[in-house]
Order: sequence, then structure tokens, then C-alpha cells
Amino acid sequence: MNKFSKLILPIFLGVLLFTACDPTGEERPQGVYDTGVLILNEGAFGSNDGEVTHLDPSTGTLSSAVFEKANARPFAGLLEDLVLEEDRLYLVANTGKVEVVQPGDFKSIGAVDKGLDQPRSVATARGKLFISDYGPYDANYNTPSSYVAVVQGFDGGVVKKKISVSSKPEDLYAFGSYVFVAGSEGKKVEVLDANAELPFKTLEMPGQPVQFFELNGDLWVFCYDAQKVYFVSISKSGLSQKEIRTFPIAQAAGRIAQGDTDTFYVLTSSGWPDYRDGISVVSILSGTLVSDWKKGSGFYGIGYDSDRQQVYLANSKGFQGNGEVLVYQKSGAEAGKLTVGRGPSGFLFR
Amino acid sequence: MTFALWCVVVLPFASPQDTVALAEVAVHAAALDRFAAGQTLLTYDKSTLELYAVRSLGDLLQETSPIFVRQYGAGMLASPSFRGTSPGHTALFWNGVPINSISLGQSDLSILPVQATDRVEVQFGSAGALFGNEAIGGSVHLSTAPTKKEGLQGAFSQTIGSFGQNQTSLTAAYGNPTLRFQAKGYLQDQPNTFRYRDISRAGAPWERQTHAAFKQRGVLQDIWWQAAPHAQVKASFWWNEAQREIQPLIGSSTQDRQADESFRAVLDYRYQKKSSVWKLKGAWVADKLQFNAQENQTSQGLLGLDWELPSAGNWALRAGIRGTWMNAKLSTYTATEQRWEAYQSLGWQEGGRISVSLNLRQLAYPKDLVPFLPGLGMDWRLFESDQTSLHLKTAFGLGLKLPTLNDRYWEPGGNPNLRPEKSQNGEVGFQLKQTGNFSWSQRLTYYRMQVDDWIIWLPKGAIWSPENIREVHNQGLEYQGESSWTTGHLNWQANISYTYSSTRDLTQEGSQQLPYSPKHQGNAGLQVKRNDLALDLSGFYVGPRSIALGDSRILEGFALGNLGLTYSGTKWKSLQMPLRFQVLNVFNQSYQVLYLRAMPGRSYQLNLTLTL
Repeated sequence: MNKFSKLILPIFLGVLLFTACDPTGEERPQGVYDTGVLILNEGAFGSNDGEVTHLDPSTGTLSSAVFEKANARPFAGLLEDLVLEEDRLYLVANTGKVEVVQPGDFKSIGAVDKGLDQPRSVATARGKLFISDYGPYDANYNTPSSYVAVVQGFDGGVVKKKISVSSKPEDLYAFGSYVFVAGSEGKKVEVLDANAELPFKTLEMPGQPVQFFELNGDLWVFCYDAQKVYFVSISKSGLSQKEIRTFPIAQAAGRIAQGDTDTFYVLTSSGWPDYRDGISVVSILSGTLVSDWKKGSGFYGIGYDSDRQQVYLANSKGFQGNGEVLVYQKSGAEAGKLTVGRGPSGFLFR
Repeated sequence: MTFALWCVVVLPFASPQDTVALAEVAVHAAALDRFAAGQTLLTYDKSTLELYAVRSLGDLLQETSPIFVRQYGAGMLASPSFRGTSPGHTALFWNGVPINSISLGQSDLSILPVQATDRVEVQFGSAGALFGNEAIGGSVHLSTAPTKKEGLQGAFSQTIGSFGQNQTSLTAAYGNPTLRFQAKGYLQDQPNTFRYRDISRAGAPWERQTHAAFKQRGVLQDIWWQAAPHAQVKASFWWNEAQREIQPLIGSSTQDRQADESFRAVLDYRYQKKSSVWKLKGAWVADKLQFNAQENQTSQGLLGLDWELPSAGNWALRAGIRGTWMNAKLSTYTATEQRWEAYQSLGWQEGGRISVSLNLRQLAYPKDLVPFLPGLGMDWRLFESDQTSLHLKTAFGLGLKLPTLNDRYWEPGGNPNLRPEKSQNGEVGFQLKQTGNFSWSQRLTYYRMQVDDWIIWLPKGAIWSPENIREVHNQGLEYQGESSWTTGHLNWQANISYTYSSTRDLTQEGSQQLPYSPKHQGNAGLQVKRNDLALDLSGFYVGPRSIALGDSRILEGFALGNLGLTYSGTKWKSLQMPLRFQVLNVFNQSYQVLYLRAMPGRSYQLNLTLTL
């Protein structure tokens, strides 16, 4: 083998090994963060030290503050959501910005850092970015001016329009030319026309809707009130409510993880002053319910690694410093414990 | 209004006359002077305070003492941390009256202008027996004093500076052997339109601060009256108002506003008969804090009676009682509370060679009697020659902090079952002094402190609630050195200090260093004066510090330098016109005291004072 072959062949094999196909048909090298678990660290109020921790589950290697490492600047915000769409990763800071990075290496592509108030989540539709935002607080700390902000393109930029929605919009879900908005305080799902950038339809919900998910090809939304939780399926074609599955889980905290098939892990918290956190497990189609699958305090986020069939439970540890993640097998057996950044609140499994 | 009338009436009739020194006013001399043997003390006299006249108490302490001041931006909240303790572990007094907010349990040093005080004394370590509630990490004592000169005096001072700074102050005073007045007024306008690097955005572009404006005004008045040969009365009041746009964190665009208004008044009556002294103190402190639309008001009245035997042979004795009545009307709760304290101090000294202080205090509040607080200190001159002396100083004391009204009553989340935070502090040090043409003093102190039942607010779901959760062990070294000498026509003064501070949270795995507790801190200053011209250089260093428990994020240390030039040779008849020029942050360092809180780069100040 000549010198050239010795040099080129490993590079060629390396490119083959680390190359993945993306939906656009273009190929890009697979990055460090294209696999593994991305852990959202919300950060502490007043410090705005939100960040992302990466876990390689095969080796147990943790990398902290991956945004700052990739971009040589702090994230400088409270990290609310992490959304992977259109081969871009959106880091939503509820302190007023959305950072857009390459999913593989976290290199910055762009940002929406002007014109937002308290963004909560992001969805893409019709070549645009839709950002749910609580809007500013009024004198009584209510949010009567909530909106969904529209930005042309997927790489950030200027807010071109704000579509008024009911108070405290949370999760977004895009389908075709529609954007579904979980209007948590108004107990409604609002459907926006992504082309016209206008409200199109409103669906009343039995509780506060906070998170969309797909199950067997249908769109569902998780809702809760003080006494119960509701899983509501929505017809994507008819834009109407199909069915409601109700479970007597009191004091849901608004955070869930979708397990295998129709299994969901629901965080609960009695709140102040008793303060007892827990996890209940439901199978929404079969109707089974396991209350208090886990009990404790400080529970702040939950996720499910479907590849390894493990439950990730985030503990904020009072936001005093680093947070903690406990990993459980489906059986409930503890499989590991991780020290992560401040205020771990969610997971993105790659 | 009183102040304005006083200035209008008095100033036009001020006439030049020879200065006659009056006797010291002894109405409210702090116990610090007589019953704090062995403790680490720092005293700022008028000459030092003049250098910081247009700055805040927070700036003064940060740049010249071992205290770490947590500054939330330029002109924003500045709270002290003594020996690694929290801001609430510092007792703050004005003319002997505690002025920490009774709802928050701490003070904002940025709205305490240096020009409003005539003397600042700082005491380090737990001294609950001497100063009562909140003296865990240390205490700060501000005092005002009526003029020491006879006749009328007045001063007008105007400062302009970078980022739109504009400050004006006016002082008028009158003194005769039986009656003395002092009135001060000040206005500060600091738009704070400084430039900073927005490190949250790609390329860290330069931005101009647009929401950090700071305005402050205030009036003070002191009246002292020798009512009878054995009786003196001193009355002081201080009104201060500050309006602030709260500077957002870098990368954020919050638009919060805060207004603080305080009214403080104190009346001291001193009656001396033979060798014993009776002191009666009455005080009223009212604070109003408006944060956006939320308004919080608190007030406290204080009545105290002291009996003192200042000198009975080698002994000195003091005993007293104090009652405090508190009233709070906050946005989420209202509360009233009464507290009672009884205290006793005993001093013994032998020929200036050794002095010992024993202090005792018992405090009661609605919940319970809190632990009895003793304090013991000793100052022992080990060696003395014509020019050199060596002192051993040692002190031990307990301290406590009652849960604040917010801790107990805030709705929702307040915890009425909280216990007081408690501390034990011990220190030992040596002070070596040399007098003569080249005089110097050096002091090295080792301290050790334990704080138990430290209160931390923790999330209980969406509601945060305080708990007695933390146990902290602090220890460290404090070095302070100063010297003065003359070379030809030049008079030199130099000072240097260094602090090593280890503050460990024993409730955390690996007993981690507390957040925002730099292990290393130091400052140095050099002044040289020739005739009417004086140059002062100063610098301070704050070491790396974590922003949370653990070391997930460490803020870099920073060092800043300041420069000042004063010319005091301009005079016209009896009118003196000192001119001072200052450069702050000479090397234009980009730094943050707290994470993502932008601070200004190099800035300039020009001050002209007209003194009559």
C-alpha cells in the first residue's frame, strides 16, 4: 500500500463510518451529539445559567455545558425546551431568546434574540419558525398578552409577526399547514394557519394542555387539573377532538415521558407545604394505572430512553448547584446516578 | 424642607473666622470603642471617606476591606459577605440603630452613599453579645457627628462623570460649645449608559446599557445640645430615596424597576453623674420598597436604656435593655413583632498592657428565648520598646440571626417553624506596630467559624420555602498592613491587605465551597502628597468563585485599578476649592462580580468642592 493509500483509506472509511443521511438527501458527518442523551439544565432564576449536558450511555461519559464549549460563549438564559426539527436543534430560553445550533456539534447557526419575552417552545411549518411565548407579565404577574411569534426561515432572525393566543401557551405541534398550540391557562388547543399566520380553530380541553405526542399515528395532547390527568386525541384531518382517556392522578406536575407503546410516566407533586413528589405510570389504551411508582422530592423532569428501555428522572436538588439524574430500569430498579448541570428538567434522546 | 430652610438661613451669614476646635461629642460612642477587645476592627476616618465621597458604601468596602460585596450591576443591589457568610449575616447600624430591612434581613450598600456618613467602622466575626441580631459574619457601623468646629461652615460639591453621572451635595454646619448643627443634602443621577460586551450573542458585540439608570437623593440632619452641665442630647434624621431601573442580566431584557425610600431618626439622651452614665435611646426606622407594582412597607421603633460605669479603676461596666417594635405591611402579608434584649459588658484593663472584654446578651422574641450569647476578647501587649510593639489579639463569640419576617410570614412559602441561625467564631492574631519616620503596622489574624441552621429557600414544587438546612464551616487568614513615611517634601501612605477564606458547606458531599465566596481577595493603595497636591493609586483583586454549589461554573477572578488626583491649593479668602479627578477601572477591565451582571469599563469623575 502506498503512502497515499495509507493516508486516504482511513479517512475514507472514517467518512463512511461517521456519515449519516439527512432528510434533504445531503450527507453530513455524524457529530458527537447526534447520539446519546441531551439533558436540559434549566439553570437558576437570577443566574440564567441554563445549559445542556450530553451523556454517552454506552460509556457513561458526561460532557457539561456543551453549548458554551461549542460556541465559546455562555448560553445566558433559562433553558426551557430543546426541539429537534429540520435538522436543527432549537434551544429555547424563557428569558427571551431561541438559539439555533447544528445538532451534531452544537455550533451556532443563528438565533432569535430580539422581540421575544418568555418563549416556551418551537415548531417549524411552511418554512417558518413558530415560537410560543407567554408574553410580558402585567402588574399582577399575569400574562394576558401571550402569543406565538413567527420568524421567516429556520435559522433564526427577526420576529415578523405575533399571533395572539390564550394565556401561557406551552408545547407546539406542526402538521401540514397547521400549528397546534397547547394553551395551558386557557384550557384549549388553538390551531393556527401557518400560511396565513392567523388563528384557525380552537378546541376546548378538559384540563390544562401542556404536551403533544404521537401514538399510533394519532396526535394526542396531555392535559391535567388538580384531581385528574387527561389524554386527549385529536383528529389531524378533521381538527377535532376524538377521545379522552381520564385517569385519577391528582397533583400532576405537567411533565410526562412517553414509554413503550402506550405507557406514560407522569410526574406528580403535592407542592408546598407537604411537598411529596412522585411518578405514576399509566397505559392510556389499556387503562392501567400504577400510582407512586417512585416517591421522593426534588423531581423536576422525566424522560424515557426507548432504545435502552430506561427511565430518566431529573432532580433539581433545590437549584443550589449541580442537579442529579437517576436512571431506572422499566422494572423500577435503579440503574445509575448522574451529576449534571443546574436544574435538570428534561431529556432529548438521540 | 428643614434642610433647605437651614441652608437658606445659615449660609448667607457665614463669616470667615479662625477655626476653633470643640470638644468631642460623646453621646452615642459605640460599644465598639470600649468592649471589643481582641476583635478585628477597621475604621474609616474622614480623610479616607473623602476619597470615596461620591461613591457608595459598597464600593468603599469592596475596594478597601476583606469583605466581598456582591454587586448585581452598576448602582444595583450590593450586599456584603463577611468571612464567607451570607449578606443577611451582617448587622448594619446607623448611629447605633440597626437599619437592616426587617423583612429582608439585609441592607443594600449601593443606596448608602458614603457622603451621608462621617465615620465608618467595621467589625469582623460573630459578636452577637455586643451587637445582637445578625452580627454573625460581622457588623458595619455608620455614624454622623456634628461639626467639631466653632461657628458656621458650609460646603457645596459638584461631580460630573462618565455615563452621564451628575452628583451634587450641600453641607451646612454650625457649632458653639453648647449647640451644634449639621445638615446635608445630596442628589445623584447616574444614567449608567456604559458599554459592555454582550457575551450571550455570537461575536460578543458591544452594547450600550439601556436599563440601569440610578437616581438618589437624601437629606440628613444632626443636632447636638448640651442641655445641662451633665446632660447632652443628640438628634439625627436621615431621609433617603433611590429610584432604579434594574439592570437586566446579559442576554435578558427584563424591565424591572425598584424604588427604595427610608426614613431614619434617632434621639440620644446622655446623663452623667459622678462616674456613672445613663443613656436613653429612642429611634424610628421606616422603609418602603416598591418593586414594579408591588409595594412593601416596614417600620420599627426602638427604645433602649444603658447604664455605664466607663472607668472604675481597671474596670468598665455597661448594662442595658432594649425593646424593638416592628410592623410590616408587605404585598403578601402583614405582621407585627416585639423583641426584647438585655445585655451586659464588662471590661478590664491593666496599664494599657492587657485589656479583656466580656459581653453577654439575652434576646427574646415571640417564639422563644433565643440562645444566650456570650463573647470574650483579649488584647495583650506582648512586647513594647520605644518604637515597636507587639500585640496578641484573640476573641471568641457567638452570633445569631433570627429568621426574617419574610422567612416566617411570606405568603405562600413562609415557614413559621424556623429556628434562628447560630454561629460560633474564634480568632487569634498578632499586630506588630512600628512608629517613627517610617511607621508601619501589620496584623495577621486566623479565624474559624461555624454557622448552623443556616436558612436556605428551597423549591417545594412551584412554591419556594425556607428551611434550616445548611451547616457551614469557615476558616481563613486576614492580613492587613499599612505604613507611612516621608521623603523630602513627599508624604507617603501605603496599605495592603490579603484574605484567604475557606467556606465549606458541610451538608454537601465533599463539603463544597459556598457560592460567591472567593478564596482569595486582596487590595492595596498608595498615596503620595506634596503640599496641596495628592495622588492616590489603589487596586483590588477578587479571586475565582463559583456561582453555585460545586464547581460547575467558576467566574474568573478580576483585578481593578483606580487613580485619583486631588489639588486643594485653590483658595479665595476663606473659601477653599479642592478639585479631584478620578479614573476608575483604569485598565478598562471587562469583568463581572456576579455572573452575567455587566459592569462598566474605564470611567472618569471630576469633583469640585467649595468649602467655607
